[in-house]
Amino acid sequence: MDLDLRGMKAAVTGGTRGIGRAIAQLLAEEGCDIATFGRAPERVEAARVELSALGVRVHAEPVQGRDGAQVRQWMQASVAALGGMDLVIASLSAGGGTDEEGYWHRNFEIDLMSAVRAVDEALPALRQSRAPSVLVIATMAASETFVAPMAYNAIKASLITWSKQLSQKLAPEGIRVNCLSPGPTMFKGSNWEMIKVARSRIHDKVVRQQPLRRMATAEEIARAAVFLASPAASWCNGSHLLVDGGYSKRVAF
Amino acid sequence: MTVERIKPDDFTKTPAAPAPRPNFGSAMIPKERYTSADYLRLEWERMWTKVWLLGCRLHDIPEPGDYHVTTIGKEEILLVRQKDGGVAGFYNVCLHRGNRIMAGSGHAETFKCQYHFWEYGLNGDFVNIPDLESFPQGAPPCKGLRAVKVDTWNSFVWFSLNPEAEPLRDYLDPMPEHLDPYHFDRMVKVMDVTAEWDCNWKTSVDAFNEAYHVQGIHPELLYFIDDRDVQIDLYGRHNRYLVPFATISERVTETTEIPHLIKHVMKEAGMDPARFDGRVTEVRKALQAFKRANGAAMGLDYSDLNDDQLTDDYHYNIFPNLTLNTHADDLMLFRQRPHPTDPNKMFFDVMMFKLLKDGEEVPPKPRHEQFRHGERSLGLVIDQDAYNLPGVQAGMNSDSFPGLWIGDQELRIRHFHHVLESYVGE
Repeated sequence: MDLDLRGMKAAVTGGTRGIGRAIAQLLAEEGCDIATFGRAPERVEAARVELSALGVRVHAEPVQGRDGAQVRQWMQASVAALGGMDLVIASLSAGGGTDEEGYWHRNFEIDLMSAVRAVDEALPALRQSRAPSVLVIATMAASETFVAPMAYNAIKASLITWSKQLSQKLAPEGIRVNCLSPGPTMFKGSNWEMIKVARSRIHDKVVRQQPLRRMATAEEIARAAVFLASPAASWCNGSHLLVDGGYSKRVAF
Repeated sequence: MTVERIKPDDFTKTPAAPAPRPNFGSAMIPKERYTSADYLRLEWERMWTKVWLLGCRLHDIPEPGDYHVTTIGKEEILLVRQKDGGVAGFYNVCLHRGNRIMAGSGHAETFKCQYHFWEYGLNGDFVNIPDLESFPQGAPPCKGLRAVKVDTWNSFVWFSLNPEAEPLRDYLDPMPEHLDPYHFDRMVKVMDVTAEWDCNWKTSVDAFNEAYHVQGIHPELLYFIDDRDVQIDLYGRHNRYLVPFATISERVTETTEIPHLIKHVMKEAGMDPARFDGRVTEVRKALQAFKRANGAAMGLDYSDLNDDQLTDDYHYNIFPNLTLNTHADDLMLFRQRPHPTDPNKMFFDVMMFKLLKDGEEVPPKPRHEQFRHGERSLGLVIDQDAYNLPGVQAGMNSDSFPGLWIGDQELRIRHFHHVLESYVGE
């Protein structure tokens, strides 16, 4: 199957680590030019070097995801640097926290608003694309009671709602919008890696719920994500794909 | 990533620069020091009876007549607040037939042996010997209880069984310069327990004198301290290491989320981790700046501490048997005491102290409790430390084990043995 991604331009928020980084990697391997950002300058630089080595153009900057103006400027600069934009993958997340008020603001700005702002800034360029699409990365924890009630789970749920309704609005313009919810995912530097070491009982309890007794790899999430975002998924619009290895048990009729 | 420490020109009262490091070689440390009853006896004759030892806290005996009995090896020492406010110490032994006189701590007008009611004053002098006339030889020729040397430093009462002991300050040098800035006198004791452990007292001292074990038994601390970037300093008898807290180990990868133990110390200081937009490796400096800026308003005086001391563990071993985890807001003090006769047993005293905010209500004084290893938790981290010790001791007793194979991360153990040798011999 040809994903038909060669020569496309893709923006991945939070693409310097974890799932976002794996998506950027796979898109670059498929021949996409990549724009991305992250918080840590040395990881931004590493992503730029590694992705460039695949022979694609890369625009990567250090950006604080809570800062709306920085996110918007990054997208503008990305469109200018790559000469357009075909795909937007909103992957940035602040991660979980507790139920305290500060985390609601944190996840609102970083998980939700960075996606809204990135898509908003990219729309003029997407309208020029031959096969534009938006993919929003949410979480299984939005639809499955998981660990504890917290802002992360609920704010991610709002991304699912937003992406569905956005898909209805943008479809007439030929812009597809889909959503992907990963289950627990393990990678180098992941929060689950920390939890496995520092709070092993929480980690072990989650793994026992997985039918395959392990967590996802970032690459396993990325393969599903890249398909959904690609022109090959031309009839996927307004879809919400749960990629959790069977963690959630409810039959979703 | 290398942790950023205070620079030579930054404010500090506690010396922070690395000390010159003598070469103590790489020889094996003989295991007999941990397992032999003969060595235990030599240790008593040549070391325990020569050094200064921590007895109690001045706050334990605030009023004239308040006393505290502390034990070292086969000896019990009665520490007493005097009428003039000073502190005296006596062997807790009745001169009549040798009975113990007092136990625990409390208040007394006189010390009366409960066997034949021989009675001593707060200064140790005889007050009453019932039926003295029935002793044809009269009263013992001494004036009363046999005294030991006593002195005080930084809210603690110290004693020495050595009548020739050098002054306490000279013995402790340079610890007062290092630790006075913490003002332990402003802290209150919040925990006071003794655990009986099945290991030599040095097996326990060693357990806290290196950070090499963190990756082995404290996995959760890899996301709270940097166990690889540790500054080891050796001073005369005593030593220390400086362990960066509120950061992560070089052994793990930085996460997006702030690890829970780091979040906890941020919140303790009044800093909201949810509103901190820096990286995990930027928390430590930010927390130092936050505490420096907000400490006084919260009623906490950090003015004598350098910035690193606001987050890090300045961890001291005061020879022979004190382990001090000093922090800006608390002190975790471990006192390791030998069993009188069995090299395979010891007493592990844990005293926790907390810095009070201005006007903060003083919590009730904790009652001292003693229990056997495992009967009660000492908290996750100390429980993890304690877990291996009986196994270490048992293994050291094996004929197959020749001695301790010590690496550079364990340099304080080597230094400690160098000092021990200077007392006990090879």
